Amino acid sequence: MNKKWLVLTPLAVFLLLCVFLLKGLFSDPRELQSGRVNQALPAFDLPDLMTPQKRWTNADMAGQTYLINVWGTWCPTCLAELGYLTELRERGVTIVGLYYEQGYDPDFGDRFDLAALQQEVRDMLARAGDPYQFNMLDLDRQFILDLGVSGAPETFLVNGEGKVLVHHTGDVNARVWRAKFAPLLGE
Amino acid sequence: MNPRRKKRLLTIIALLFGLSSAVGLTLYALQENINLFYTPSELINGKGPELEKPSVGQKLRIGGMVVPGSVKRDENSLFVEFKLIDSGPMVTIRYKGILPDLFREGQGIVAQGTLIESDVIEAFEVLAKHDEEYMPEEVAEAVKGIKHQKPTYNNNGY
Amino acid sequence: MIPELGYFSLTLAMVLCVLLFIFPMWGAHTGNLRLMRAAPSLAVGQFIFVLLSFAALIYASLTDDFTVAYVAHHSSSTLPWYYKITSTWGGHEGAILLWLVMQAGWTAAVALMSKSLPWPLRARVLGVLGFLAVGFMLYTLLMSSPFDRLLPYYPVEGRDLNPLLQDPGMIIHPPLLYMGYVGLSVSFAFAIAALLTGQLDNLWAKWSRPWTMAAWGFLTLGITIGSWWAYAELGWGGWWFWDPVENASLMPWLVATALLHSLAVTEKRGIFKSWTVLLAIAAFSLSLLGTFIVRSGIIVSVHAFASDPDRGMFILAFLAIVVGGGLTLYALRAGHVSSEGRYSLFSREVALWLNNILLVVATLIVLLGTLLPMIHKELGLGSISIGEPFFNQMFTYLIVPFALLLGAAPLLRWKQNKLKQVAGKYGLGVIIALVLTAAWLFSSFAKVSAITFMATALALWIVVMSAQDLLQKTAQAQSIKRLGLSYWAMLLGHIGLALVIMSVALTSAYSTERDVRVVPGEQVALGGYDFRFDGVKVIRGPNYTGHAGVVTVFKDGEQETVLHAEKRRYDIGMQFMTEAAVDAGLSRDLYLALGEQLTGGAWSLRIYHKPFVRVMWLGGILIALAGFIVLFDRRYRRRNPKEAQA
Repeated sequence: MNKKWLVLTPLAVFLLLCVFLLKGLFSDPRELQSGRVNQALPAFDLPDLMTPQKRWTNADMAGQTYLINVWGTWCPTCLAELGYLTELRERGVTIVGLYYEQGYDPDFGDRFDLAALQQEVRDMLARAGDPYQFNMLDLDRQFILDLGVSGAPETFLVNGEGKVLVHHTGDVNARVWRAKFAPLLGE
Repeated sequence: MNPRRKKRLLTIIALLFGLSSAVGLTLYALQENINLFYTPSELINGKGPELEKPSVGQKLRIGGMVVPGSVKRDENSLFVEFKLIDSGPMVTIRYKGILPDLFREGQGIVAQGTLIESDVIEAFEVLAKHDEEYMPEEVAEAVKGIKHQKPTYNNNGY
Repeated sequence: MIPELGYFSLTLAMVLCVLLFIFPMWGAHTGNLRLMRAAPSLAVGQFIFVLLSFAALIYASLTDDFTVAYVAHHSSSTLPWYYKITSTWGGHEGAILLWLVMQAGWTAAVALMSKSLPWPLRARVLGVLGFLAVGFMLYTLLMSSPFDRLLPYYPVEGRDLNPLLQDPGMIIHPPLLYMGYVGLSVSFAFAIAALLTGQLDNLWAKWSRPWTMAAWGFLTLGITIGSWWAYAELGWGGWWFWDPVENASLMPWLVATALLHSLAVTEKRGIFKSWTVLLAIAAFSLSLLGTFIVRSGIIVSVHAFASDPDRGMFILAFLAIVVGGGLTLYALRAGHVSSEGRYSLFSREVALWLNNILLVVATLIVLLGTLLPMIHKELGLGSISIGEPFFNQMFTYLIVPFALLLGAAPLLRWKQNKLKQVAGKYGLGVIIALVLTAAWLFSSFAKVSAITFMATALALWIVVMSAQDLLQKTAQAQSIKRLGLSYWAMLLGHIGLALVIMSVALTSAYSTERDVRVVPGEQVALGGYDFRFDGVKVIRGPNYTGHAGVVTVFKDGEQETVLHAEKRRYDIGMQFMTEAAVDAGLSRDLYLALGEQLTGGAWSLRIYHKPFVRVMWLGGILIALAGFIVLFDRRYRRRNPKEAQA
């Protein structure tokens, strides 16, 4: 009798473990509490990545609900999410790219080559899909800093009043979209 | 008590003793070594619904972005001081040692260390966040987490 | 075309594996010998097709076929050819394919080398292995095929292999580790087959033992090389980090170590049967769990790249079926197994039982430390990390009784011992170990802490007791030649562990390091050496550029060596890599890592002096060797009379 219960213990322990593993699988490991949520989007005044003469400011986006997607060609996860973001654009979601330049590093004697970067961006978007209305370049990372970005990709949902509703770290995919973004958009 | 019973009782007592001391030791060691994660705003304003703040002397991890222009290096040693921010208040990190390859102003980093004032942390480990946070899992698996770029300091040699 | 053939070949292999599962299982159930006899040829057949499939991926990588998504993501045209080959297991999909190759290889090996086994057992072992292979192949074919194409838009250049993986250690580390993980599936299959057959006797233990030994040997070697690679490549001079990925390999190793000791008891004495079976199930389960943890991104959560819950779900479901099924079978069958045999408290049986308990406790501690952050988070208590000191502290506690026992146990006989017979030897051992430790440490080092002294003494205790045991056994056997290979293997393994303990103790206590700011010409002293920084030169490799800090090392004014500590930047991906310069030696390593460029032509430089760190890996290799030597023991080769005589 005693032994029967004893031999069942490993199975019981394992099943309990499975419950946690299952839960863990579906919780977002990258949950990050952002201080930006429910606050106004910081002010920005940034050049367009493709036509630097053009500058974008908060006023350009007033009254619109849109996503700001922080990304870079150097970031593999960004590449991975381009496909899904493009799908979102086709469904009518407005997405603004905020380009995060990582390779540029004056300490290492780098010079910034805008033409090369533009080409790289064009190539990557042509290959993987272009979800962006336009891209802004934040070379000195001022706006990126104001947003509290800690890496790429990160995505912000901004409403018509210029308030940040969501700050998501990591890639946007169907699951994340359903869980975090869609409810706020009334989809 | 017959000898067989006695033996069995002794075995059980020994087992229980071993088990409880093992559990006790484990819990004690765990308690000492759990590090909570904070962002700069959480550190200043408190974390979670209770707005708990860490106490001075506590070990913790903190993640945020290096404020551009805040990095001050000592001319003659490797001592470095910089400020971290997420979206609210700033926190000062002090560190003596070599910074990771990807440490830059405006980049996300994670520091592990001890809170020495309410907004100052003396770090014994600084890691560039890009390394671990946004790496494909297969690479991360293979490199076993670059976060291990960990200097273990001895007290001699400085 | 070739990649498609690879995929097709894998599909064929899976079909064979389905048959390999069904035929022998059904045959064993109904007693149909013809069905059972099909198993070995099916096992060999699927191995050939898996191998072809793997060859197809290597071909795609070597020919820079960037239409294949996997190659485009993990290789580039500038990569040297040998790294092109290793890049086939540098990423998730390829790594799983390598796993399959190993799985198929072990299965074929079992099929070919189990001729002495009775058919029902042999068929069931192969059937279980076939089932496991089907699971992994299904996963590869459905969820993570390395043969997917990037058509019609494919890149002209690949994204390159992560610079950290461009290292010789990385060429052999994953294959060895996988050999170990997968090898444990053979022990698992033997356990399940035995439960199904109801034949849990010492013969079963004897058959299962060499397979377990081989798998354990590979696992040991894999872990050792992983540690060495982390040391050489990560640039911080550490050799073990208690990272979830490392823990994932350590847990099966600890359980497998317990298993092979327990198997010895079952084989020789016919007891601990159900415990041994449980360990066999647990060892492979932990290999699978480790894979799940690593692959699903559940724990190494920050590493989760486009973390795909479907993949995680599949592995979890597979884990639940295999482990849950195994444990259910265990619960149903093991209750009826009775172990006969009497032994007193002071016997080798009890010593080995304690060894098992300590190893299992160690496993549980690692498991707790690995899973607690996840459980903590799932319970809504916030994210935490568990510091390395937790593991270090717990393992320090555990190693003391473990090493004491390890030194004492080999002298004990089965069943019963009289304290009088061994007390003298123990006393002598203690005295010799203490005296040697004191003489050595106090003469070599200025400061000796209690913990260093204790650890070194424990290591020497193991060595001294092994020597005493050897003398005694030689006297008993009348000739040193008559001691079996298994005995030598045990001796070697134990001494290997003693070396590891000693190395960890000494290198932890006496390593010194300096982080310095140096200008060219400046000299720094550390650990009895002088390091002169001669400046930095620009270097150019096949796929990177960078700086190399040139440092001339002097000992007592004489030039010892010149080291080049590199900081590379890889052309694709612009990743920085610190490539440390190591002057290796048994008694000490000199380790240099170049830091950042500072103002005024100065650079930051990190210098380590690490005594005896290399002895650790030497110990690891000896332990692994022990596992392989056992395979040549006559006892396991008796079916082949010619070899037995040789």
